[in-house]
This record gives sequence, C-alpha cells and structure tokens, in this order.
Amino acid sequence: MTKLSVEILERALKRERAARKQAERILEQKARELYTLTQELQFSNKELEHMVWEKTSELKGVFENIIDAFVVMDLSGKVLKMNDAAIDLLGYTIANEPINLIDIVHPDEKQGIIDAFKLLYVNGSVANYQVKVITKEGKTRLVDINASIIYDEKDKPVAAQGIVRDITEFKCLENQKEILLKKLEKSNDELQEYAHVVSHDLKSPLRSIYALVDWIKEDNEGQFNEETLHNFSLIDITLEKMEQLISDVLDYSSVTSENVSAAEVDLNIVFKDIYQILYLPDHIKLSCIKNLPSIKGNRSRLQQLFQNLISNAIRYCDKEEGLIDLDYKDQGEFYQFSIQDNGIGIAPEHHEKIFKIFQSLHQNKESTGVGLSIVKKIVESYQGEIWLESALGEGTTFYFTLKKEL
Amino acid sequence: MTRVKTMKVLLIEDDLIEVMKLKRSISKLDMDVTLVEAKNGEEALDLLKDSQSLPDLIFLDLNMPKINGIEFLKILKSDDVLRYLPTVILTTSSNRKDVLECYKVGVAGYILKPLKYDEYLDKIQKTLLYWSVNELIKI
Repeated sequence: MTKLSVEILERALKRERAARKQAERILEQKARELYTLTQELQFSNKELEHMVWEKTSELKGVFENIIDAFVVMDLSGKVLKMNDAAIDLLGYTIANEPINLIDIVHPDEKQGIIDAFKLLYVNGSVANYQVKVITKEGKTRLVDINASIIYDEKDKPVAAQGIVRDITEFKCLENQKEILLKKLEKSNDELQEYAHVVSHDLKSPLRSIYALVDWIKEDNEGQFNEETLHNFSLIDITLEKMEQLISDVLDYSSVTSENVSAAEVDLNIVFKDIYQILYLPDHIKLSCIKNLPSIKGNRSRLQQLFQNLISNAIRYCDKEEGLIDLDYKDQGEFYQFSIQDNGIGIAPEHHEKIFKIFQSLHQNKESTGVGLSIVKKIVESYQGEIWLESALGEGTTFYFTLKKEL
Repeated sequence: MTRVKTMKVLLIEDDLIEVMKLKRSISKLDMDVTLVEAKNGEEALDLLKDSQSLPDLIFLDLNMPKINGIEFLKILKSDDVLRYLPTVILTTSSNRKDVLECYKVGVAGYILKPLKYDEYLDKIQKTLLYWSVNELIKI
C-alpha cells in the first residue's frame, strides 16, 4: 500500500467518524425530544382522563339526582338506563326485568307512541309529548315526555334519551279548574236569567193591579168622592214605586265585572248625555270643572254611575241656588273623580250605611235605596273606591276612583 | 180618515188580565179588529193548523208555560206557511238576550208592556194602526 493511499483511507475514515458522531448527536437530540414529547403526552393524557372521569361523574350525578324521571333507551324503545325517579314512577327495575317503552304505553295509545318514535328519529327530538303509561302496579299515569336522539361520533343515531314527567295530578287539577270555571259561568248566567224571570214575575201582577184600578175608575166615573180618588192615586204611586224597586234590583244584580267591556268611553259625551236625560230644575247649576278624560269600560255602566250620583245631588238640593260640580284628578293608574253639591248633607253616622242596598235615608217617591249600592258596585268593578265628605246643611262631596285600564 | 180594513189578531198570552187589557184596548179603537185568543203555544199551533183562517198579525208573550215564546217563534219560523205571519212580541222582559234572540229568529216588533194602563193603550193603538196600513199577506 502506498503512503498516498493510506492517507486517503485515513481521511475517509475520519470523515466517516465525524459523520457518525454527528448522526449520533442528532439521534440523541431526537430521542430526547421524543422523550419530552412522550412525557408531555402522558401528562395531558392523564389530564384528559381526569376530565373524562369528572364529566362522567358529573353526568352520573345529574342522571341520578334529576327530579324528573330520566330514561335512556335504544332505538327500538328498549330501556337501557333509568334513574331513581324513573324507577319510582314506573315501578320497574330494568336490572330484573327488561322493559320496552312501547309495551308500557296504554293500549289506546300504541299507535301514537310508534308515530312519536318515528318523529323522534326523523327530527332528532320530540317536545312535550303527552301519553298514558301503565305502571308495574297497573296504575295509569299521564306523562309528558321530552326526548332526543343520542348520536355517535359519526353522527349515526345510537340511542334515545328522555325526560318523563308525571302530569297526572296536574292534568287532573287543570281539568277540575276548567270544570269549576264552566260551572261558575253557568251559575252566573243562571242567576242573571233568574233575576230577569223573577223581575218579570213580580212586575206582571203590578201591571194587572194597575189596569184593574184604572178600569174601576173608568167604569165608575163621577161616582167616587175626593178621598177615594186620592186613595186610588196612592195605589198608583205605590205600584210605580214597587215597579221602580224591581227594576233597580234587577239593575243591581246585572252589575258584574263581566259587563266591563274594553271600549274607549269619552266621559265628556257621557256627561252631555246625562245633562240631557236628567230633569234639571232652573235653580240648580250643574257644571263640569274641566274637560273629562276617556276611560276603558262599559259606557252604559259608567253613565249609570255618574247619573245616579248627579241625580242624588239634584234630589237632595235645598238651597235657593243649587251647585253641582264635577271634577277629576289624574292619579297615574287611576282617575279620582269628585261630585260636589251644596245640598242637605249627610250625617257622619250614615256615611257607611248609604252604600248598602235598600238603605234610603229619606221617604221619597223616587228613592228606592238601591242607587248608591249600584254606584258602589260599579266603582268596585273598576277596582276603585268610593267615599264622601259631608257637613249637614252645607253639602256633600262624593269621591271615587276608577282604574284607567282594566 | 179612510176607514181601516178588518184585521184579525191572534193573541198568545196565559195571563187572564193581560187578555182583558188587550180586549179592552181594542174595543176603544175605531178599528175593525177581530181578536183570537190562545192561552199557550200548543193552543196557538192548534188554531194555526186551519190554513183557511190564519190571522193577519200575532201578538206573542215570551213568558209562557210549556213551550215558551222563543220556542214557539222558532216553530213558526220553520213552518213554510206560518213563517210569513208578522209576529210582534208583547212582553215585560227587556232582557237584552231575549231581544237579540227574537230579532235573530225574526220578529216584526218587540213591545215592552208598561206599568201604566194608558201607556199600554197608547202602544197597542199605535201598533195596530201601523199594521192596519201595512200590506198583509193573504195565503
């Protein structure tokens, strides 16, 4: 071997060594990196595992502690899991006896539940589906089901879960409430009808008496003395008062909150109407202090309210110059009205009494003692209140509030 | 004043004095009115069976025993012949429900009987005079 070739070989060897060293270094580096990575991965794996465990236990808690019955089933309806509430509700424990939801549904609703299942499969969820089920004890319960499909990672439906709520009692109460409401409505109608019939039956004999008295007078004209004729006219007056009383009682019984319809009523027009209807003697001045508001309600009832109060003020005026003033204040949710007169006044001990039915303070041809009780009933149907301030001989102010919108 | 023609009126009313009132009112009128009386719906339907002597006008009370006024009215309005007879309600009931129902089924008038006899007389006179100038159906 020549010296030159030895040198070449040594150089080559040296290069090779250097290259291997470098390769070893790289390898070492890579191994180290790999190790760290593995360490990191191991750590995050542990973390993930912990998280999964946490979630599972959370879910388990939810599953077990949820108040409503919770059921997981396969797509055929076979129950895979139930929580305690579900076991309580249905009476079955799947550990001992496998059940299928379709089997425990009431026979009448089999087709319905099959359809609901199809709907669940197609839409992915079903909300508030109500169905009757039969518990292990043979009792029928009405339940409300909210269900949804569980999908696997490839979006393939694998199972269904549902929250089952027992609404038997709730439904029962709801039905009872409806029945009661209907009954109440019916008995209200009947009462109303009854009032009309009674009023008719009471008025008929009055009309007959009136006609008979009239005929007696007519058929015996010129044969009665002054006193008898006066007594005849007293019979007429008594009959008229009786008739008025019956009408008033009927009116009183007709004021119920149902009569409050929600039309906008301009009280200025109501006031104008009353002005025309009532007989206002020349010495009495009826005025409205300011423009009245509009209120939502029943026009004829509102008119009756103002008319009764104003006609009382006219009736009990004893001054040479009578003054009746109507005014109001806006109180937010309510309007407060006042009707002030300078009439005879009402003694304090009567302030409560006058609102009670048949409590007229005066023996008066036109007074039946129903007017103010109707007023009170109307005010109350607008959730308002009525009261008065009065001094004997000086006058009375009636105050009342009406809710703007019911 | 032209003399009004003869009119035949059927009164369906169970109250004796009410019947007397109408009779007396008619006797005071210068009108040729024949009054036929029926105490209730059944009796009236019997009378109306004879298609040869139908009344020109019917006065009907609403509160009657057995068939009540509105029921009677419904029977009348579902009959091919009797439905054309003008029927005026004569009642004390101002019950809005009754008024609405009557006009819905079909009445020719709704008259409230007042308390005072002279007011009653006035209402009856006006009603009979009004119908006497109407074209009445002869079937």
